[in-house]
Amino acid sequence: MAKKPSMGRQKIKLAKIEIKNHLQVTFSKRRSGLFKKASELCTLCGVEIAIIVFSPAGKVFSFGNPNVESIIDRFFDINPSVNPSSTAFHLLDAHRISSVRDLNLQLSQILNEIEVERKRGEALENMKKNSQIQHWWEAPVNELGFHDLEQLRDAMEELKKNVSNQASKQMFEVTNRTTFFDSNNVGVFDQYETKPTQAFVNSSAAAALSNNFGYCHGFF
Amino acid sequence: MTRKKVKLAFITNDSARKATFKKRKKGLMKKVSELSTLCGIDTCAIIYSPYESQPEVWPDTRGVHRVLAQFKRMPEMEQSKKMVNQESFIRQRIAKASEQLKKQHKENREKEITQVMYQCLTGKGLQNLMMADLNDLGWLIDQNLKEIYKRIDELKKTAPPPPPPRPPPEAPQVTTGNLHLLQEQKPAVGLTMDAMQRPQWFTDWMNNPSDHQQMNSFGHGDEMMLSFTDNNHNTMWSNAFFP
Repeated sequence: MAKKPSMGRQKIKLAKIEIKNHLQVTFSKRRSGLFKKASELCTLCGVEIAIIVFSPAGKVFSFGNPNVESIIDRFFDINPSVNPSSTAFHLLDAHRISSVRDLNLQLSQILNEIEVERKRGEALENMKKNSQIQHWWEAPVNELGFHDLEQLRDAMEELKKNVSNQASKQMFEVTNRTTFFDSNNVGVFDQYETKPTQAFVNSSAAAALSNNFGYCHGFF
Repeated sequence: MTRKKVKLAFITNDSARKATFKKRKKGLMKKVSELSTLCGIDTCAIIYSPYESQPEVWPDTRGVHRVLAQFKRMPEMEQSKKMVNQESFIRQRIAKASEQLKKQHKENREKEITQVMYQCLTGKGLQNLMMADLNDLGWLIDQNLKEIYKRIDELKKTAPPPPPPRPPPEAPQVTTGNLHLLQEQKPAVGLTMDAMQRPQWFTDWMNNPSDHQQMNSFGHGDEMMLSFTDNNHNTMWSNAFFP
C-alpha cells in the first residue's frame, strides 16, 4: 500500500483544537513526544523530573525519573531524611542509568532496522509499478477483462502444480538426505539399498504439501 | 538552530551540560504548555536540578499543587496504570517499534513473493527457491486464484462473456504480451499454439480494447495494489509468512 504522505510541519494555532478527533490524535502524539523529551533531558543532564498529564478522556498519564512518587513526595517535603550522597543511592542510580543506556541502544537499533525495511519497501513498490506498466497480468484482478482472467487463471493453476511438484521434489531430497539428483534423474535410486516405494512417494508428507499451502506449520 | 546529532548519554562537560539543561528545560516547559492549551487538559511539570535549590515548575507552584491534588484523588490503580519511569517508557517504545518492524517486514515479504510469483509465471525457474519460499508462493497463488475465480463468477453473472476469445498467446519469446511457464513442464491446454497464428494474436491483443482498456490507468497510485491485500491483510498472512 503506498504510504500516505504525512502533512509535514504545519503552523498550528495555539488554542484548544476544535475537532475532537484531531484533539485526541494530537494529545496522543504530543504526550508521547513530551515524555520522550523528558527522558532525554534526564539522560543528558542527570536531573530528576515528574510530569503529570490528564487526558481529554480523564485518564492520567505520568512520567517520573527516578519515579513519579518520589518526586511528588520530595515536592511535598515528605521524608526529608533521604541522603542524596549515600553509597547505596549511587549504586541504585548507576544500575538504573546503565539499564536505560542499554534500552536506548536497543531502541535505536530497532528504529534503524525499521528505516532499512521501509526503504526496501519503497524500492519493491517502485519495481512493482514499473513492472505493471509492461505486464497486463499484474494489474489488480478487478481491472482485468474476462478473457484475460481466464488466461491468468490457467497460468496460475499451472504454476501452482509446478510449485507443488518442486516442493515435493525438495521434500523427497531432504528426507532421503541425498546428494542432488543428477540431470538424468537417476542418481538417488542408485545410491540406496532399498528403493523408495510407491508408498513413500505418495506419502502423507508429499500429499500434505500439495494440499496444505498456507497451513504448513509442521514443516519448520 | 544547529542540528548536530546528540549522543544520548550523560554530558560529562559541566558547562555544556548546564547549557543543554537550560535550553532543553525551556523547550520542555514550552511543550507542556502547548499540550495543555491545544488539548484543553490539566498538566504539571516538576524539575529538580543541581543548579537550583528549589524545583522549577509549570505552570506555577499553585498550579502544581492543584494538579497533584487532582492526581491523588484518583484511585491508586488509575494513578499507576499509565505511570512510567525512564526504563518502562523506553520498553514501551521498544515494544511498539518491534511491532512496526514486524509489520513492515511482513509487507515487504508479501511484495517480494508477489514479484517472484509473476517472474515464475513468465518462465523463471523454481529450482532456486527454498522450501519457505515455495510455501509462501503456493499460498499466494491460492489467494490470487481465489480472487480470480470470484471475479470470473461476478463477471459471468453480471454480463455474459463477450464474443469468442482472441487466440491464446504463444508460449515462448515475446516478452511483453504473454504468460508462459517452465520450459520443462508442458504448458496447459490453451496456452500453446502454432507459429502461424502468432502475428494475428499479437495484433489482436494490441487492438483489443475491451480487455485492455485499463492499460491507460496504469501509473495511478493506490489502485495498483492487488485487492487481496486490502481485504485480508490481518488474518491471512500469519500462517504463510511466519509459521
